[in-house]
Amino acid sequence: MEYLVTPDNWEWLITGKNFKFLLEGFLINLEIAAIGIVFSLIFGLLLALMRISRLRPLSIAVGLWVDLWRNIPLILMILYIGLAVPSSWRETWADNIPGWFPEALQDELVLGALLALILYNSAVLCEIMRSGILSLDRGQREAAASLGLTYRQQMRFVILPQGLRRMVPATVSQVITLNKDTTLVTILGINEVISHANSITGSGFFGAVSAPPLQVYLMVGVLFFVVNFALSRLSRRLEIRERKRTGTTLERVKGLEDQVAAEADVVR
Amino acid sequence: MSEFWEVLQEHLPEFSSGLWVTIRLVVASFLIAMTVGTLVAAMRIAPLRWLNWLGGIYVEAFRNVPLLVLLIIAFSGLPRAGVPIDQWQAGIACLGLYTAAYIAEALRSGVFAVGKGQIEAALSLGLTYPRTMRKIILPQAARTVIPALGSLVLAMIKNSAIVGGSIVALSDLLNQAREVNSDTGQYNEVFFWAAVGFLLLTLTVTLLIRYLERRFEIRR
Repeated sequence: MEYLVTPDNWEWLITGKNFKFLLEGFLINLEIAAIGIVFSLIFGLLLALMRISRLRPLSIAVGLWVDLWRNIPLILMILYIGLAVPSSWRETWADNIPGWFPEALQDELVLGALLALILYNSAVLCEIMRSGILSLDRGQREAAASLGLTYRQQMRFVILPQGLRRMVPATVSQVITLNKDTTLVTILGINEVISHANSITGSGFFGAVSAPPLQVYLMVGVLFFVVNFALSRLSRRLEIRERKRTGTTLERVKGLEDQVAAEADVVR
Repeated sequence: MSEFWEVLQEHLPEFSSGLWVTIRLVVASFLIAMTVGTLVAAMRIAPLRWLNWLGGIYVEAFRNVPLLVLLIIAFSGLPRAGVPIDQWQAGIACLGLYTAAYIAEALRSGVFAVGKGQIEAALSLGLTYPRTMRKIILPQAARTVIPALGSLVLAMIKNSAIVGGSIVALSDLLNQAREVNSDTGQYNEVFFWAAVGFLLLTLTVTLLIRYLERRFEIRR
């Protein structure tokens, strides 16, 4: 305990640019998560539309695809895709990325990591959206059809606006998972908060004071805690509001700890 | 296609020992998670304000920090603070304590979902308190808790791979696959079989949950 609180072991935090460097690393994680969630929402919606389509073979194929992704450890997929992405793709990524993009993300290794995160999260979001859409009363669809709307119009004007609104709380809690999962890309040797923390512990880095791993990584934990705690409060608020409004509960995606926690959050 | 079988035949010992390590890791961590999770859940529903608060801090601390960061804190941080810890201890403790936060939440919401009126009704019918718990509350709580616990075990199997991929480097299925891959370079085949190994585990657990859910289903 004394080791933990002694000021000597925390001196690194206020010496030189150590803390700023750690924050910069953490920012890269947030950027990866932000890009990941945007693309996952787009692909997740496409997958969900295919999953609920009336074409049986398509729906079954997408269901298998989604189940496959949900049942394999993400870190395994990151490792595999990191190795399997053809080098020509990586070069195209590194060459064509716009200059305003964050510098750390211009690295060619980032492509594989982002692909894995997006493929995994789009599968999860597909399930979240599907349960949002399925939670709607059948009558909605039938009423829309009896008004003479085509399948596309039913989806566009009646089903999706209501169904997607219901998925917002579950999506926010998936963002917590995604935030945590961005640390896994360190296995590919990408520059982010874990590697920045490693450099700091190496030799005190800036200012050459001792920067013990326990304190440095506790600080990393605190950074994640601040962002994710705020997100979990937000998700809980949205969930309670949404339940009051619609009086329905969504079925949670199985095999995800933060989805279970989000469900429990609402119960008092 | 034959290359897939060749890789499996040649490296079966590595894959099976890795799978066995993963299974032991998950089982041991689950026991820790259930024990600690039940304690934390009890703290959160206790009639003492400061206990609720303490339980709440535990849950929020462990669910908002990445498992990978916990593993690094335990495995490379604690030894310097004079706490000796080996690979297995670090892996089991982190995975167990991390999942315990979620188990506590699942148990808490399961018991709360049953409702106070049920206990009062059972007691007023003359049932003893243990009998009320056993016959009325727990069977109903189990119905909401079992799917949630199953979901957490699935998450745990997948998270166990992080233990092998992190600095802790327990020789689990993921770590063994990495080793075989660095020997052979046949990443398609190697990671295919590792994925099959994990799918075997998650599929078994999924079937088990389904069986349990059916056992506790309301029959009308």
